[in-house]
Amino acid sequence: MMSNESANPFAGDQSSAQRRETTVRWLLRLSTFLIVAVTVSIVAHIFIKGAPITFRKEFPFVNVKFLTELPGTLHVIFDKQGNAIETDVNGADGIKKQLGDNFREEKTISYSGGGILGPIVGTALLVVVSVTIALFLGVCSAIYLSEYASKGKRVEMIRLAILNLAGVPSVVFGLFGLGAFVLTAPVLTDTPHERSLLVIPLLFTKLSFQGWDTCVLSGGFTLAFVILPVIITASEQCLQAVPQGFRETSMALGATRWQTIWRAVLPFATPGILTSSILGIARAAGETAPIMFTAALAFKDKLPWQKDMPPLPADAGMFAHWEQSVQRFLGIFTESVQALPYHIYTLAARIPHNEYSERAQYGSVFVFLVLVASLAATSIWMRRRLRGKYKW
Amino acid sequence: MPTDSNPAQPSIVEVKDMDFAYGSKTALHGINLEVERKRVTALIGPSGCGKSTLLRCINRMNDRVTGARIAKGEVRVKGKNIHDADVDLTQLRKQVGMVFQKSNPFPKTIYENVAYGLRVHGEKDGEVIHEAVERALTQAALWDELKDRLQAHALGLSGGQQQRLCIARAIATQPDVLLMDEPCSALDPIATLKIEELIHQLARDYTVIIVTHNMQQAVRVSDYTAFLHLGKLIEFGETERMFDRPKEKLTESYLRGTFS
Repeated sequence: MMSNESANPFAGDQSSAQRRETTVRWLLRLSTFLIVAVTVSIVAHIFIKGAPITFRKEFPFVNVKFLTELPGTLHVIFDKQGNAIETDVNGADGIKKQLGDNFREEKTISYSGGGILGPIVGTALLVVVSVTIALFLGVCSAIYLSEYASKGKRVEMIRLAILNLAGVPSVVFGLFGLGAFVLTAPVLTDTPHERSLLVIPLLFTKLSFQGWDTCVLSGGFTLAFVILPVIITASEQCLQAVPQGFRETSMALGATRWQTIWRAVLPFATPGILTSSILGIARAAGETAPIMFTAALAFKDKLPWQKDMPPLPADAGMFAHWEQSVQRFLGIFTESVQALPYHIYTLAARIPHNEYSERAQYGSVFVFLVLVASLAATSIWMRRRLRGKYKW
Repeated sequence: MPTDSNPAQPSIVEVKDMDFAYGSKTALHGINLEVERKRVTALIGPSGCGKSTLLRCINRMNDRVTGARIAKGEVRVKGKNIHDADVDLTQLRKQVGMVFQKSNPFPKTIYENVAYGLRVHGEKDGEVIHEAVERALTQAALWDELKDRLQAHALGLSGGQQQRLCIARAIATQPDVLLMDEPCSALDPIATLKIEELIHQLARDYTVIIVTHNMQQAVRVSDYTAFLHLGKLIEFGETERMFDRPKEKLTESYLRGTFS
């Protein structure tokens, strides 16, 4: 009766506890897999639909036209046999004439023709301006918080404010940008706009609080505030990661606080700051709401530097040419632009969908996704590398 | 307090009846200390006795700590009260150099590490900098080892070399006083020995004040020893005499290792 193998002293209560264990494990596993499945299907869908538009099988392997032309209206001309010919506004009449009696119908689809150079250039400009502003402001305040401010209530309040800034919905940033930069920011002008809030006469000109209108500068400033929390937090972490001993040593050698920061702290924090900022770039490139009211246009048939300038007289000197180039360059920042995320919104929500609109839609989304993903990947890769390189 | 410094030699560092406090907590009580020029003075005592705090009073490194202040008395270097309003901190620290416990060369080249102090003090002349770098590395017994790889990265050096590089960096501006805060505590015995030899040589040109938790080290390197306990200077005198015949009961029990 008393067999050695008879009773299992560790036998569990098979009925309830075991079953619950299994259920929970599957629930957790499925939730995780679901997330992965969603991500994979989104990315795969965009790649399958978008990659053939952007890439070509034969040299030069990319769709040059799509990447180097401005967007335009797509004209689709049908003949009586039901064949469709896609062309732009300039080609439409020629084809119609050529078809003669065979012509049956012409469809036009806005924004879906040409390429997406305008949005790419616009997004690049917005990113450059916003990251420049955000890096300057962000690094300055990170230095203040990390190196100058004495630890206490005040600094905690500032940190809280920065965290809150990160939580502000992006459309609110857009409205803030509209109010602050588009409508009120000060400009120097001889002829103030009638909506100007305040005009202060200066010696030769007037300072008018009339805003900068929708332009790269307004959008860049607005986006800068969107990414500022990321940049400040990352920069502060990078500064804190520089060993305290460097500061002590530098001070003990007689360096002032600023000399210490400039020579013994910032140089070693800069790689990290720049790496982390790439994530800020990805964010700035991706935001739509902040630029809707401040910089972006649904359609523009010119690049920001293609601006009509009064022709220079034939005998104009070097200086006049130089001056005009500078004006042309500065003019880039006071132009409104197309931007990739806003272009995608326009294509998705503002035009009727059909088989001919898909090309521009998937193409834009694909290019956009690849751009943002490669920025993020660069950031991760650089951080890995730096982590190995900077050990103290 | 028993003291046997030589009155004929004027002291370069004088601490006079100094109380030092972190906020409301007094860390040092009534310290009197006169450090003789071009000698090695060791500060010893159990951990937490205030020896590092005292060392940091001499180049005002405690200024960085909020709430830290001298509550009473004064510190004089080269006869000047270093807390006077007309004392420039940069000039003070140029003339009172410091080496820390953890060797912490900047992640730059060997050359740039040694040149750091000169650059901070606005030296632009490449030749002057080069001479100073060579002199400092020679005095730190590194020149022969490193003269062919001055542009190499400082973090590639061994622990002992790194610490000697830190010493070279501290003496490149030719300070009068060199403060050393447990400079060997992170090093192996051989590297420690090299630094101790170096301290002997440095005493020809500099006044060295060294904090150490190692009593044998104090015997080996110092001419004078100050023993601190609980923020008070218990005894100060010639090292040999103090280790042979301590005058205070407390000193004796600490040196004999029968400390309670």
